[in-house]
Amino acid sequence: MTTVETPAVVQEVREPWLSETARVLLKRLAACLFGGVVLAIMLNSYEGSQDDFGYVFHQAVLQPRIFVFLAIGVVIFALITFWSHVRQYARRPGVLPMFVGVIVVIVALAIMNWYDPRADVQGSSKFSKIRKLVDQTPSGVLKQTTTLFFDGWLSWGLLGLGLVVCSAAIISRWRPLGYLAALCGVAGAVFAWMADSDILRVGGGIDHSLGVYTAVCGFLILACAGVIAATSRAEVADWRGFWQRIMGYRPGLPFVVVGVVLGLFAYGRDCWFAPLQRNLSFAESADAYSGTDITSLASNYLDWLGWTLFGGVAALTLAATYLRNRLLGWIALVASAVGVLLTFLTLKSMTEVAAKVVPAYGTKWNNLGAGAYLACITYGLFAVAAVYVVARNGRRQSATDANALPVTKAVVQARGSANAKALILLALVLAIFYPPMLSPFWQNVLVSEVSVYLLLAVGLNVVVGWAGLLDLGYIAFYAVGAYTTAYLTGSLPLKPPSWLHMTPLLTIPFAIVACLIAGVLLGTPTLRLRGDYLAIVTLGFGEIIYIIAINNPGKFTNGPQGVLVPHASLHIGSFKITWGQDNLPYWYLLLVLLIIVIVLFYRLENARLGRAWAAIREDEVAAQAAGVNTVRAKILAFAIGASTSGFAGAFFATQVGFFDPTLFTIFASILIVAYVVFGGMGSLPGAMLGAAVLTWLPEFLKSQVPTDDRQMWVGVLVLAMMIFRPAGLLPARRRKAELSGMDAPSSSEVAAVPRAGAA
Amino acid sequence: MSVAAERQPDVVFDIQHVTLRFGGVVSLNDVSAQMRRGEILAIIGPNGAGKTSLFNALTGVYTPQEGRITLAGRPGARPVGVIGKKTHVINHLGVARTFQNIRLFPALTALENVKVGIETRQKAGPLAAMLGMPWQRREERQSTQQAYELLATVGLDDHANDLAGSLAYGEQRRLEIARALGTTPGVLLLDEPAAGTNPVEKRELAELIKRINVERDISVLLIEHDMKLVMSIADRIVVLNFGEKIAEGTPHEIQRNPVVVAAYLGTSADQVELDIDSQPDLHLIDTAGTVPIAEEALPPEERSDD
Repeated sequence: MTTVETPAVVQEVREPWLSETARVLLKRLAACLFGGVVLAIMLNSYEGSQDDFGYVFHQAVLQPRIFVFLAIGVVIFALITFWSHVRQYARRPGVLPMFVGVIVVIVALAIMNWYDPRADVQGSSKFSKIRKLVDQTPSGVLKQTTTLFFDGWLSWGLLGLGLVVCSAAIISRWRPLGYLAALCGVAGAVFAWMADSDILRVGGGIDHSLGVYTAVCGFLILACAGVIAATSRAEVADWRGFWQRIMGYRPGLPFVVVGVVLGLFAYGRDCWFAPLQRNLSFAESADAYSGTDITSLASNYLDWLGWTLFGGVAALTLAATYLRNRLLGWIALVASAVGVLLTFLTLKSMTEVAAKVVPAYGTKWNNLGAGAYLACITYGLFAVAAVYVVARNGRRQSATDANALPVTKAVVQARGSANAKALILLALVLAIFYPPMLSPFWQNVLVSEVSVYLLLAVGLNVVVGWAGLLDLGYIAFYAVGAYTTAYLTGSLPLKPPSWLHMTPLLTIPFAIVACLIAGVLLGTPTLRLRGDYLAIVTLGFGEIIYIIAINNPGKFTNGPQGVLVPHASLHIGSFKITWGQDNLPYWYLLLVLLIIVIVLFYRLENARLGRAWAAIREDEVAAQAAGVNTVRAKILAFAIGASTSGFAGAFFATQVGFFDPTLFTIFASILIVAYVVFGGMGSLPGAMLGAAVLTWLPEFLKSQVPTDDRQMWVGVLVLAMMIFRPAGLLPARRRKAELSGMDAPSSSEVAAVPRAGAA
Repeated sequence: MSVAAERQPDVVFDIQHVTLRFGGVVSLNDVSAQMRRGEILAIIGPNGAGKTSLFNALTGVYTPQEGRITLAGRPGARPVGVIGKKTHVINHLGVARTFQNIRLFPALTALENVKVGIETRQKAGPLAAMLGMPWQRREERQSTQQAYELLATVGLDDHANDLAGSLAYGEQRRLEIARALGTTPGVLLLDEPAAGTNPVEKRELAELIKRINVERDISVLLIEHDMKLVMSIADRIVVLNFGEKIAEGTPHEIQRNPVVVAAYLGTSADQVELDIDSQPDLHLIDTAGTVPIAEEALPPEERSDD
């Protein structure tokens, strides 16, 4: 059979072979060049507005710099086309860190925040703003190298040189070249550091300089790539093996090293107290606070305790790692926690005293610079290292358990879950310590945009991703939750009876229950429908709720004027917290709630109901035949998704303090579906990442492109995603299998005539 | 339990004068049959004879317009009417099935496929799962344990963590059986389990079906085109043609039944009866693509068989 077929195929292909290839190549080249132009527009230093797109376009594209971006396109084209030749080099050790370093530096130089003269002003101050400052500053005030770095060729030159030399070192395997590349990286890091310090000294402002940290990291990674290129002779880089060797040598060692470096930054250099555009380092803060009525703990901390604590915990963790002693590991873990606690107590005392001495400082934690939070991250890293030491024996145990299973895949899964645990821990540390370092604008975006939609996406993921029911009216439940909270807090024209009047936080369970009921009420009659029909019905439901909200029947919803809702507060005996205008407390409240929701949903996915949902999604008839009560499972999915949405609505109402019906349009529903699809249907981390990226992007683009064009760029991103990663950013394991063509033979026989003959 | 149960102590399915139509097309026409507890009953017939329609009527996927089907799924169960009940309810009454065109959940692992079946018999709800209640965890462990056992029964324990969609054809067929067994049925409906399998797999499958029948005390209703397989394992055979039952009996009887042979070969019964001994064995007849002629006249002795 095959002998007959093969020549036929060859004959068919041989004729148009040349033109076919040429066409593919041309298409690819065009796509790469277009990508270069897009990159040029995205990475331009001019901020757009509603009506100057032509100006931005001129400045971004019709300038000599376009050739740089076109060159990038050509390089990418060449890489794709000649990949088979390049591959042998691309797999060598050092290539990955080199590219990671270069990309990190480019991101840091082009779009990240380097300088923040007034933290209250919206947006981030990009590299280009410093250039303006450098221009305005009389020469001599700034150091020569600083001017050169920000306004000249030094930053990009070092990066380019490092890239070229490092590539040459990897290809030629000549040691001196590798060390030269490493030197370039280190020099870049040092110059970036010095230049940033200088600019801060001259310009003042609160130290929110994310850019410099990132740039230094990028340059250092590049330096590492150089060292690897110089020392390693292997043909194929083995990262997993490398990591295992390190962790096998001394578990958690890399975390300790990074922690020590960060800690040195935090205590040695960075700003701890930043009132009125003065950046005081750790030592300077001690001077500033001497003589005030700061608590003795805090004064000791600033005086000697901070340094000692850092040194002590670092030494403990290092010892635990080095000796692989579990007891020492536990002690280091506790010590890290104590370190975080003491740091926070000190910071609290500092802000209180500052507020008393000079009211203009305010009690805002924003008066604190990045240093304090960096210190907390340091302790977090020590804790991670300690966890590795403590968990080492346990993990070895579980590995042997996995081997005992008849399935070798279990081992792979165990390894995957260890990685996942580390990732989760990292995400948690970031979620706790990163937001305080953000500017108020981004804190606001984080709380009232990103996290609320994240919650909505997590809820919709249950309905769309797990149970496979397309719900286009999802935002309606969000509205139900918000209005329930508004009603119960007495914010609507229609007042609740006095015994039902309650504080905002207490209304959350009621909002959840209200949406649960709404979900069941809507689901019971409609969930017998399949696919498209269900989508249309839910679409109608969403419109009904929206129009009710607008039309204000019975003076219930207050119509298009919207509703003002009080902020949340918590009183338990003498313990009292009030969440006001400030975003950070809300973020931590939401973080706790979010973690609870995620844990609950994760358990659900891997339990009986989660599997039943997957079965229904895959083949409803087979699921019924296997005894799954499909209608019940679908209603449950609907109700659980709806209650999550209601929860988000209630939270949003109290956090922002105001909402109106324009939030509840069909557009919002579709956006949430897009978040879920973008992130990866059925994947919990995917849905979260999708929502985070797609809510962050429009805000980020505010300072990059004209406002009207923002959604277009979002569209471009979604489109590109659907082409290159159709299963989403982080596809679910189950979905991935579906999309890779392992579908069942289409259900023809039974599904075609469901329940025929029923009266 | 009583009167009815005493009168028919050994009947699993009692099918009485069932007629199923799709618009003008009559898929089952006045079919009556009984399935006894513990037997392996095969339904055979040419393509389009209504075998799968009968399966779908028995499992609640189709609702016949006329007739009555009663079911006593598990031993000692009270007979209940099937028509009008939902598929999953009938499954809970002890009827499990496989499909002619395999219908697994391809993106779940083999283990998960079986667990879906097992867990329809469990109690813990979503709240217990979310809160990780001890009884929920116990059920979860039990279902995993049972699923591994069932996979071992059908010889798939090496593939427990493989995706169902990535299994070989014969393995998928066996996985479907394991999933069906997970629901602890009293009667198992197999729709062409041997289709597309090679002779070795067929032999293994025959052994598996016998083993399920004997060791687990599960009655088996089997649709199969492979006559060799049917003749080797079936206790009794029902023959359908054009939606009507044309014969019923032991394999030996069916093999020699002129009406059946005629239906398969497309000749009239009278001719066949004349030289039945010269006919080839039924299991050698290739049924694929055979277009049988209409067979109106049923000899009276075939009807009074049960």
